[in-house]
Amino acid sequence: MSAILFILFAGLAIGCAVSMIVQRNPLYSAISLIGVFISLACIYVTLAAPFIAAVQVIVYAGAIMVLVVFVIMLLNVEEEERPAFRLRYLVPTAILFAALLAAEASFVIFTVQTSPYQQAHPSASANPSEVGLTASIGRGLFTQYLLPFEITSLLLLMAIVGAMTLARRASFLSPNVRVVPGAQVLTRQTVDPRAVGDATAIETDSTIEAERLLGLENAPHAKDRD
Amino acid sequence: MELTPQLSWYLALSAVLFTIGVVGVIVKRNVIAMFMCIELMLNAVNLTFVAFSSYFRDVSGQLFVFIVMTVAAAEAAVGLGIIIAIFRNRESLDVDEANILRL
Amino acid sequence: MDWNFVLSIILQFTAITVAFTVVLMIVAYTVLAERRVLAFIQGRLGPNRVGYGGVLQPFADLLKFILKEEIVPDKSTKFVYFLAPILAITTALMPLIVYPFGPTVRLPFLGDIALVIARFDVGLLYVLGITSVGVYGIALAGWSSNNKYSLMGGLRASAQLISYELSLGLSLIGVVLMSGTLDLSGIVEQQSAWYGMRWNIIFQPIGFIIYLISAIAETNRVPFDLPEAETELVAGFHTEYSALKFALFFMAEYVNMFTVSMLATTLFLGGWSGPFIQQLPWLGPFYFLGKIIFFLFLYIWIRGTLPRFRFDQLMNFGWKFLLPVAILNIILTATLALFGWI
Repeated sequence: MSAILFILFAGLAIGCAVSMIVQRNPLYSAISLIGVFISLACIYVTLAAPFIAAVQVIVYAGAIMVLVVFVIMLLNVEEEERPAFRLRYLVPTAILFAALLAAEASFVIFTVQTSPYQQAHPSASANPSEVGLTASIGRGLFTQYLLPFEITSLLLLMAIVGAMTLARRASFLSPNVRVVPGAQVLTRQTVDPRAVGDATAIETDSTIEAERLLGLENAPHAKDRD
Repeated sequence: MELTPQLSWYLALSAVLFTIGVVGVIVKRNVIAMFMCIELMLNAVNLTFVAFSSYFRDVSGQLFVFIVMTVAAAEAAVGLGIIIAIFRNRESLDVDEANILRL
Repeated sequence: MDWNFVLSIILQFTAITVAFTVVLMIVAYTVLAERRVLAFIQGRLGPNRVGYGGVLQPFADLLKFILKEEIVPDKSTKFVYFLAPILAITTALMPLIVYPFGPTVRLPFLGDIALVIARFDVGLLYVLGITSVGVYGIALAGWSSNNKYSLMGGLRASAQLISYELSLGLSLIGVVLMSGTLDLSGIVEQQSAWYGMRWNIIFQPIGFIIYLISAIAETNRVPFDLPEAETELVAGFHTEYSALKFALFFMAEYVNMFTVSMLATTLFLGGWSGPFIQQLPWLGPFYFLGKIIFFLFLYIWIRGTLPRFRFDQLMNFGWKFLLPVAILNIILTATLALFGWI
């Protein structure tokens, strides 16, 4: 029974992983990757590690991939074209690396399989694995591995500060502008992340002048006006 | 069917996933897709850790997985911020076109 | 093949089917109840023509949804467009299996049965995980409709969901600190002391209020329903969905309401505990259902009473007020637990 479950979830994981690298649309790749994460979470459950399985779903499938999906949606990423000349020398390189990795992996797997230190399956009835339960993880995390835990929280703080700094848009010096209600104001679309500044209001007499000041005179819409 | 999965089965699965991730990083052009293949490689390593930890009844493997997940989350946040900044300046997410420092 | 094992699997599947059917029926009648209660609050009668007092209205609605014409937008990405409502309803229904409906009852032929479908060590984390994955239904629906109103509604709804998920999870940590376990059945069993009245809400009032507010925001209900308000964004992320797919989203929203009410009763109001629970264990499911109905009524009541938040007010509230208060609640609970007072 556990063999059937393992083969099912392993097949699902490998299928979704292959789909991820074969798909051209990045949103479909993201959905396939979510499928990989959820099948890996199921494998962790069969390995008697329920806490890690739940954390995998919450952190990877529920937070990181949400971030990736948001980025794909907001940047409106298009499908990827694969020019043939590029693939001609990349695919053999990829196959070479894959063969090397497969050779190393099979050596390790062979060593593990024929090793005299064979262990029982984690959910074997004689000696079930108790290390996956929350109590055991909590005990380890707060006694023996306290220093890595604290360093990880510092790392998260660094990541938060870094992400905020990268996401900041306008410079610290605002341009010298003044908003006069009633005058012509032309603002950029703020949904478009290609906008390199905030919605800066400019006071001019005409739309053409405002476009010139904003640098939009060569924009597609500017040409089909008279 | 009395066949139970051996430890080497999980290691083989992890190796296959890691290899697929490596192939993806080499072949793909879109930088977000490359990022996702890196996440796949991290997950393959997580699987190895959890498998060893469960078979040898040692909790250190799972604690390391916990920390790897946290690091991956931090890396995702900052990495996607960098990707958005690159996109804003170059208007393209193609790594083949990002071959000189000048925009 | 081990026949006991096969029998237990069949039993689990039957239990899950029964639970899902019962929940979907309750949800259908919740829709009717909402329309009637809202109508009474607003000084009118609700639907009362179909059947006596309107009790057959859900079936009329279901028939309408099945028979309506399916309009699929032309330029949408088909696979994601069909996947989104399936994801929404699946992640709405999945958390049901970990909730205990009653104490262990003794049936005449089958021995002791625990009235819970699946009991495992990390039940609460499982519920939080499924809630996190539930964001995709809305985000993918908004994006795949190829419509700027849907995209804005979908992105706003997803941003709201992931912001309030944080305070939802943090408000539950106080309860976990007190109970010492993530297992929902264990938490409810600890609340059946003091003649069945040792409910966690006595010890965690702040946590309860934070949870309630976050839950209303999580399910996109008034006052947090800007992403799907008709006056704002046509219909938000489900603008382009018609007939049965829209029915799936609609049901998913109400099942979500039901699920968060179940979580609130399990963690804060004692689940199946109540007076005389030791002597008459079969009262458990009735207490459970009664408390859930109270929460559903509270949702409808709030919908009829409050105006809705603007989106930036909503985000400000979630990040700048609710999250710090939830963290303070954890610190307070942890300090009291350290000194052994809770």
